[in-house]
Amino acid sequence: MDETELFARYRATGDRHLRDEIVAKYLYIASILAKKFVGRGVEYDDLYQVASLALVKGIDRFDETKGLRFSTFITPTITGEIKNYFRDRSRLVHLPRKVFELRGALKQSAEKFFAENGRLPSARELAAMLGVSEEDVVNAAEAGGVVSLDKPADGAEGPALYETIPAERDDFERFENRDAVLAACSTLSERERELVRLRFGKELSQTETAKRMNVSQMYVSRMERKVLDKLKDELKKSMAD
Amino acid sequence: MKEYLELRFPLGSDMMTTVRLATGGVCSRAGLDLDASEDCKVCVTESLLLLGHSGYRGARMRFSDDGGLRVEILGESRGSAAPSSEDEISYALLSALADVEFERADGALSSVKFTFGKK
Repeated sequence: MDETELFARYRATGDRHLRDEIVAKYLYIASILAKKFVGRGVEYDDLYQVASLALVKGIDRFDETKGLRFSTFITPTITGEIKNYFRDRSRLVHLPRKVFELRGALKQSAEKFFAENGRLPSARELAAMLGVSEEDVVNAAEAGGVVSLDKPADGAEGPALYETIPAERDDFERFENRDAVLAACSTLSERERELVRLRFGKELSQTETAKRMNVSQMYVSRMERKVLDKLKDELKKSMAD
Repeated sequence: MKEYLELRFPLGSDMMTTVRLATGGVCSRAGLDLDASEDCKVCVTESLLLLGHSGYRGARMRFSDDGGLRVEILGESRGSAAPSSEDEISYALLSALADVEFERADGALSSVKFTFGKK
């Protein structure tokens, strides 16, 4: 039975089996169109449901005698329903939250990938890891622009953006470095440690340090070179371990 | 008429993401809202699919400002056509989303033009 005949018979009889047959035959259009609108903050399954309902409603409104093919008729109908759905949902869907979450996931996945492979992943690799499109990855990575740091980070009522921004320095790395330097300093004499404290802790000049230690500036300079060489050797040793 | 961007590229599925991203960037520059930008990206994708199925191996795409964002996509270097059963849906979708003009040459689609955000 061709398209015109199928619709003509359904119109004449109102047979629900015929309607089911029409639905089954054209459900692929709902699927195709739902896929075209994925990526705007609504899941494919929801879009497919909206598109399928629009298809069922559209079947009763289609007039096969007007010479239009059903796919040509139903595509704008389904598209209109999907766009209405977006409009209705716009107050509920927080796209920034989605982008924000994806950005968080991207960072974690990139770190995991780096730990496993020793290099940063490409957008394609990240997309595969997260089950999203490459375009979503690039969009999320690019998302930003000029924003207020006082605004909620998730676009709703969450913590302010500035509270979620990680510190530029890595505190863990800083802690490790500090630990290594302290261990190296333990190999220095009392006087050498005093020099380190004044020169690098208090950040005094060599002249000022010399005054505090009751020695000449030349002596401080020589001792400083010696101390730094010693520390470098110790740190190299600890890294090799 | 203010020119935003002109692109020339081979028509292949691997170029779609790049072209869609460029389109998104131009839409943002043209001041389109998110919804219109996404619709514009859908129209660009559908136009390229149709031109590809019409046998074109490449496309030239021009974005300009004519009171809205004007997009003109022309097929280049034609080979053999490979129509898809989904082409009809693409045509209908383009017509549903934008005021679109289709041009034909030698019986095949040669260009697609549409405008978004016209004031």
